[in-house]
Formats: sequence, structure tokens, C-alpha cells
Amino acid sequence: MNYILHLLIMIGIYLVLSYGLNLVVGFGGLLSLCYAVFYGIGAYASTLLMVKVGISFIPAVLLGIVIAAIFAFLIGVPALRFRGDSFVLVTLGIQMIVFTILYNWVDLTRGPYGIPGIPRPVVAGYEITSLYEYLILVGVILLFSLSVLFILYNAPFGLALKALRDDEMAAEGLGKSPVHMFLYAFVISAVFASTAGSLYAAYVTYIDPTSFTLDESIFLLAILLVGGAGNRIGPFVGTVFMILLPEALRFLGLPDTVAPNVRQMIYGLTLIVLMFLRPQGLAGEYRVK
Amino acid sequence: MMEGLKIKRVSKTLNGIRIVDDVTATFLPGRITALIGPNGAGKTTLFHLITGELKADSGEIVYKGDDISKLKPYIIARRGVGRLFQDVRVFDNLTVFDNVASACFDQEVESPWYPFVKCSHLKRKIREIKDVIYSYLNFVGLSDMDNIYAGALSYGQQKLLAIARLLAGGYSLLLLDEPTAGLNPVMIKKVLEILERIVEEDKGKTIILVEHNMSAVTEVADWVYFMNEGKIAFFGRTDHVLGDKEVREIYLGM
Ligand SMILES: Nc1ncnc2c1ncn2[C@@H]1O[C@H](COP(=O)(O)OP(=O)(O)OP(=O)(O)O)[C@@H](O)[C@H]1O
Ligand SMILES: [Mg+2]
Repeated sequence: MNYILHLLIMIGIYLVLSYGLNLVVGFGGLLSLCYAVFYGIGAYASTLLMVKVGISFIPAVLLGIVIAAIFAFLIGVPALRFRGDSFVLVTLGIQMIVFTILYNWVDLTRGPYGIPGIPRPVVAGYEITSLYEYLILVGVILLFSLSVLFILYNAPFGLALKALRDDEMAAEGLGKSPVHMFLYAFVISAVFASTAGSLYAAYVTYIDPTSFTLDESIFLLAILLVGGAGNRIGPFVGTVFMILLPEALRFLGLPDTVAPNVRQMIYGLTLIVLMFLRPQGLAGEYRVK
Repeated sequence: MMEGLKIKRVSKTLNGIRIVDDVTATFLPGRITALIGPNGAGKTTLFHLITGELKADSGEIVYKGDDISKLKPYIIARRGVGRLFQDVRVFDNLTVFDNVASACFDQEVESPWYPFVKCSHLKRKIREIKDVIYSYLNFVGLSDMDNIYAGALSYGQQKLLAIARLLAGGYSLLLLDEPTAGLNPVMIKKVLEILERIVEEDKGKTIILVEHNMSAVTEVADWVYFMNEGKIAFFGRTDHVLGDKEVREIYLGM
């Protein structure tokens, strides 16, 4: 039972992430490889604010959001001068730089030693300790995030992003500013990444930089490519699939010595087959290029 | 005071070739002016310069009294310059309805906070534009395809959709790059009629028509610029320009 609760909590956190990233990847059509940066900034910012400054969970989450949004703005301004392959490479570079900083700025982040003993979140005077309570916390934040994001998806804002994604020249010819719109999407998505990061840190009560690597950014992007980007169902399908598939493979009863490797290979193979069969993702109508 | 569009000694060199060569032209409001010339004459490039897609190397492009030649394309669009692209450029992964809708909101409504701070305004606005969108879709005969992705339409249908999208944007200067190419005769007639109606009903509107379809040009344009090898070679009344010996030799093959 605890195992299932744990999986549900992780799915909830990743739903906040994937629905946020969807704004950039699905609506903006920009393949970002640095989304884990904002996930990490949220986790570290709220953790350090709680551990070093001593403020409580909710204000720490909110301040983390502000910090992540500022970073997203500073990163977005130069990165969004690029499109297509160049944008992918630039965001990859940013991901590597930020990871290196998290890893080596030992005075601030304790680097590879990580930060253990993160205090459990206290919400309205109530300390959250059991898995059920965590699930409720994640569920509430997920619901709130989705209601904000779905309004944006459906608003003229979402439509303008999709227009820019499909044909930037034509959309700009209709008066849409690519720089402003993409930057909004980039910053807003970072807000949700940061929220998810704070939740994650408060849940596992230990963070180190290896949770926020390029691998993680690729995993988050893969969720959208597998599930389908640019709509409301794709991120859900992708998140559930990508988190549950490796878990399901555990029950194959493989001999212990080869199990992890075989599982990895089946996982990879499934993704390849999927892209052959449904290049637009399981529940997608739009194919990310 | 004369408004409209004034192009003053504009030049553009790409890859060492002068594609637009010292072009000076005036396009007055309240009328349709044609811009014709052989393939590769530089007509589309001149449109790129007007909309800011390309920046002129020299010269001025003045619209409604302001030099727009150094502005960004989206700013120029917000000043009322709308364009029908020669290569159509509909939004493939948006529905037919959404394609037209994408032209209907201004930057305030498209901001991410608008749905949160002006929720009731937005709802009313969306209700209002729905009728407008369907009226344009009806006009081009696409209203029962409103839910189809634009990428699935035929070339001609995409052209009609792009025309509907442009008209819905309510621009005061329309740059039309071959609006009739790919359309059937009935649709050509309808499109030409609405162009004439636009400049008749609102004398502040300016239309520039790039066309290889000479019957369309004679039908709606009283004045014609003839462009060849990047230069404006002739300007005059339509019958005059089309009757010119050189134009007939270079362009009409007569
Ligand atoms: N980016 C570019 N770099 C180099 N040359 C270009 C570029 N864009 C256009 N040209 C050249 O400029 C010339 C004029 O092109 P343009 O598209 O403006 O012609 P056009 O008058 O619109 O022709 P058509 O009637 O065939 O549409 C062509 O010879 C074309 O090859
Ligand atoms: Mg052309």
C-alpha cells in the first residue's frame, strides 16, 4: 500500500512538472532541455530558505517560485533568441552549467553531499508526515496548478503560442510578439517546475544535485513526447506511462543479476517502438519537430 | 494630407544581388493598386521589406506618416499592416476556426494574466468574436469545416482560410501576394468583390495587389506598378501599363 501511495505522490509531482513544461514544448513548440534547472532551483531555494533562514513551508515555496521565475527570465532572454536545434543546444548548455554550479558551490548547496533532514512541511500549523497527508498536499497543489494551466491553455494566450509554434512568421504578421510570448511561457512553466521541486524536496526530505541533471530534463521532455504535447490529456498519459512502465518491468521476475540492465533496455526499446508507431505521442495530435 | 503607404528609394541586396533596387512608390488609401512583374522581379521581397521581415539597406517606408522601416514585424502588424503570404502560411495544427480566431485578439487579451484579471470581459469577447469568425468562414465557404485541422485542407482551401484570417484581423493596409492563385473562378470573383467593397466602404484602407492574373488586375485595380529586375519600370493606369510595348514584351509575352 505504501508503495502505491509513493507512486501516486511521484505521479502527482511529475504531473505538475509535465503540465507546466507543456506550455513551452507543446504550445510553444520549443524543445527545452533545461527544465530540470527550474525543478532544482525550486527544490534548493525552498529547502535552503527553510533550513538556513528558518521560514516555513508555504512562504518558502512561494519565494522559491519567485527565485525560479527570475532565473527563468534571465535564462530565457538569451536562450529564446534561438529556435529549433540551436535552442535545444543552448538549453542543454544551460542545464550543464547550472548542474555544475549546484554540484560545486559546496558552501551553499553542500554539493554532492546533498542536504539531508529537510523539515517536514507544516501547513496552517499542521505537520505533514504520513504518506496519505503528503498525497493530499500534492493533490491539492496539483489541482490548483491544473486549474491555472488549463485556463492558460484555453485562453487567447495559449492560442497565440500555438500560432507562433506553427508558423512564427505568419503569427508575427498578426501582431504577436514571439519574444514576449515565448518568454511568458518559459517563466510560467518555471513557476510550476519550482513548485514541484519544493514538493519533491519536502517529500523525500533529502536533495542532492543528481536529481536535477540533464537526464532528468530529458526524462521530462520524454514524458511529453511519449504522451503527446500541446493538449490537456497528453501530459497525463505520458507521466503515468513513463513512471509506471519501469515499475511494471520490476514484476517480470528477471534474475537479479541482469534485471536492472534488461529493464533499462526494455524501457528504451518501448520508447523507440512507440515513436515508430505514434510519432505524435500516445494521446497527441501535434507532432513536436 | 495624403496618408497611405510611401516607399522612398528603398533598396535591398541579398547574397550580393540587388533584389529591390531604388524603389519609390506611393499606394493611396481608398483604392486597390496592383504590383505586377515577372517571376523573380522582387515583388514578394518588397512585401517582406514593408512588413519588416527583411530590413531595407537604405530608403524609407512611411505608413500613415511614420517611418516603419526599422520596426519589428509584430509592431508593424499592430500599426495595421496585414499580409496574405504567397506561400499561404496557415497554422497547420490549429483548427480552421482557431486559425481565424488567432487574428481576432490584441496583445492585451493575449497576455497570460488577462483571463485571470478580466475573466468576464474575456468570456464576452469570445462570444462576440464567434459570430465574426463564422461570418468570415461563411464568406469563404469553410464554415462547416470549422473543426478540421488547417493542415488537412487543400491548397485552395488554405488560401481561402488565410484570406478569412487576414480579413478578420481588420487591417488598414492589405498586402496581397497572389490572392487568386489556386482559387476556382467563383471564389476569385467573390474575393475580388470583397476587396473592392473594402476600399469602397472605408476610404482609409489601402490594398496592394500582387497578381499574375491579369483579368483580376484589370477588374479591380485602376493603377498599376510594373516591377522588373528589382526596379519600378512603369507606373500608370491599368490599361495604359498593360498596353505598353515593353510590358507586353517582357511580361505578357505578346
Ligand atoms: N533570401 C534570399 N537570398 C537570396 N536571394 C533571394 C532571397 N529571397 C529572394 N531572393 C531572390 O530575389 C529575387 C526576387 O524574389 P521575389 O520572391 O521577391 O520575386 P517575385 O517578384 O515575388 O516573384 P514571383 O512572381 O515568382 O513570386 C529572386 O531571384 C530570388 O531568387
Ligand atoms: Mg512572389
